[in-house]
Amino acid sequence: MNPFLLIAVLPFLMACLGLIPRAARWLPWAGAAIMLIQLPVVGWVCLPAFTGATTVYGGFMMDGMGAAFTVITTLVAAAATVQAALLLPAERRGEHNMTDRRFCLFYTLSGLFILAMYAVPLVQHLGYLWIAIEATTLMSAPLINYHRSRNSLEATWKYLLLCSVGIAFALFGTVIIFAAQHAFADGETTMLVSDLIARAGDLDPRLLRLGFVFCLLGYGTKAGIFPLHNWLPDAHSEAPSTVSAMLSGALLNCALIAIWRLSQIVAAAGQSELLHQLLVPAGAVTVIAASIMLLRQHDLKRMLAYSSVEHVGLLTLAIGIGSGRLFILHAFNHSIVKVALFLLAGGILHAYGTKAFSKLGGVLKTAPVWGVALMAAAFAIAGSPPFGTFISEWLLLRDTFAAGEVTAAVVVIAGLTVTFIAITTHMGRVVFGHGRNPVHVVAVRAWALTPAVLLTISLIAGVAVAPPVMQVLTVLARQGGRP
Amino acid sequence: MNLSQIDLLAAGAAVLAVWTCGVTRVKTQLLGLVGQTTLLAGICVLLGLEEAAWHMLILALVVFSVKAVGIPVFLGKAAERIGIVRDRGVSNNSTLILLMGCGLLMLGYFMTPHFAVPTMMNRGAAGMALALVFIGMLLMVTRRLALSQVIGFLTMENGIFLYGLTQTNGMPLLMEMGIVFEALVGVMIAGVVMFRINRSFEHIDVSDMRGLRH
Repeated sequence: MNPFLLIAVLPFLMACLGLIPRAARWLPWAGAAIMLIQLPVVGWVCLPAFTGATTVYGGFMMDGMGAAFTVITTLVAAAATVQAALLLPAERRGEHNMTDRRFCLFYTLSGLFILAMYAVPLVQHLGYLWIAIEATTLMSAPLINYHRSRNSLEATWKYLLLCSVGIAFALFGTVIIFAAQHAFADGETTMLVSDLIARAGDLDPRLLRLGFVFCLLGYGTKAGIFPLHNWLPDAHSEAPSTVSAMLSGALLNCALIAIWRLSQIVAAAGQSELLHQLLVPAGAVTVIAASIMLLRQHDLKRMLAYSSVEHVGLLTLAIGIGSGRLFILHAFNHSIVKVALFLLAGGILHAYGTKAFSKLGGVLKTAPVWGVALMAAAFAIAGSPPFGTFISEWLLLRDTFAAGEVTAAVVVIAGLTVTFIAITTHMGRVVFGHGRNPVHVVAVRAWALTPAVLLTISLIAGVAVAPPVMQVLTVLARQGGRP
Repeated sequence: MNLSQIDLLAAGAAVLAVWTCGVTRVKTQLLGLVGQTTLLAGICVLLGLEEAAWHMLILALVVFSVKAVGIPVFLGKAAERIGIVRDRGVSNNSTLILLMGCGLLMLGYFMTPHFAVPTMMNRGAAGMALALVFIGMLLMVTRRLALSQVIGFLTMENGIFLYGLTQTNGMPLLMEMGIVFEALVGVMIAGVVMFRINRSFEHIDVSDMRGLRH
């Protein structure tokens, strides 16, 4: 049986269930159960890739990179859906214009969104990769507008427009790369990534470079690389928190994996210096710019969104120096912690009715469990030990120095320092500051459960990075590309 | 440079796009888009006849019915329902935009050697495709209304389609179909969002949405 169909079955089931308005009562829990069952299913399907095997079926291919990001996406989606089962019904009590149909449509769109995100790391055809990424934009736009407030509408419009322009550039780049095959002796054309890597030497170098630059502009917009990040803070802060978690934890990775695949082709064509010249500065500038913007935030979810921009910078840097294993490792660590933070922010937004720093404070007193979890997560996202993010940032800096990119490494270190100060200051005010009374009384402890589990995973990831783990990561990163 | 029939049609599409830059009436802008897309479908038919490739004819039909009929009719209906007639642009000076469009057309022309594929017959069309992409971007930046920004986006897509059509030996048909339908779905969703913006802001003037600027 086709293993890729097996992955798609459960999210598709969730999407179908969402079409029944009567299911509004039990759908949140059914959705959570579905995504929890999805975890072992995906684990089973992806298992061969972790030992070095590559499965090809139709236009899909499960290589190490694909398997790693499928697992990350599943983890993020499962955590978000479980938290949605707690958050969404509670939020709904305050919204009288939310009909059953609209409520259930959330699950239809989530299911389709998750399906599109699975397609991105698994397709092997550059054209279908583009279609899959465009599909993620189209499916997530209505999700951002779930609450239908003025601000969320404005954010949705900005998201749709900017990402569509970006994605149009990526399409142009894809077509140019297709045109770069005119020099093939046998006149055959291909868009499969593995074939392009194998025949990269015969590609027209001038057109390949043009194509890569256009694709970088396009997918970079979707990933939020500075200065193309403009839409990101709006969309991530105005979306419902569970959707923000999926946008930050899974969708950004999707755009980055597209850049990774293309960078493989460019490197195979013997133009690694182009990657160094473009991606390394782009990553370093993104980190420092995001860290400066982090300083002047006054909104909890916006701050988290800018922190995502910063981590996108780090991931771009990892792609730039050609380190696939650090790309996987840091994407995993960032996704886990950022999802935990967004889910906690969702609870706070509901309990206090605001996400403005000026009106938040004293979480540790009113809800001790949340306070502890928030502070731990803040330290984790700022890259402090013993969490996984520290290890991956450390290794990334070491490899950047080793690659001879000293300036970039110094800039990144400055950026990380500023980020640490910004995040701990803001979060410290929220957790310790003057006590404010929450507007809703909520079942506090249960809401911190999912974030706590995620933070535990991050903690384990921080302690467990040992030679055997790096070995597995190297195996994952090597398949279908350069070592 | 010798101009082939196809180069001429491509140039026609680009000139139509420049003309659209100076138009303020939304319905007329849509007409410009229809003309532009029809010319591209014509190129598709010519290429199909030249190479006796039946799938190009199917593609031409799909492009024509979706992008030259379906989408403009949908957008026209949307304009009527929202009740908008003109979009004077952010600068309120359509002549300036028209001149900038001319400049971009020239830029596209001069960039032709960088983007054209040396083995292809219709190298001139590459520059026109580039001009269409640039002009589409210009339209998106300078228009005030959400609806005419969508027109700019479709112009951009047309440019990319033209490049793929003339500078490659045919992208896989399935992929091109996927792209066309993706554009359709995108316009649908944009249309829905537009109605919502209109309902909650009572206008679709994007430059007046400033809630999120901190």
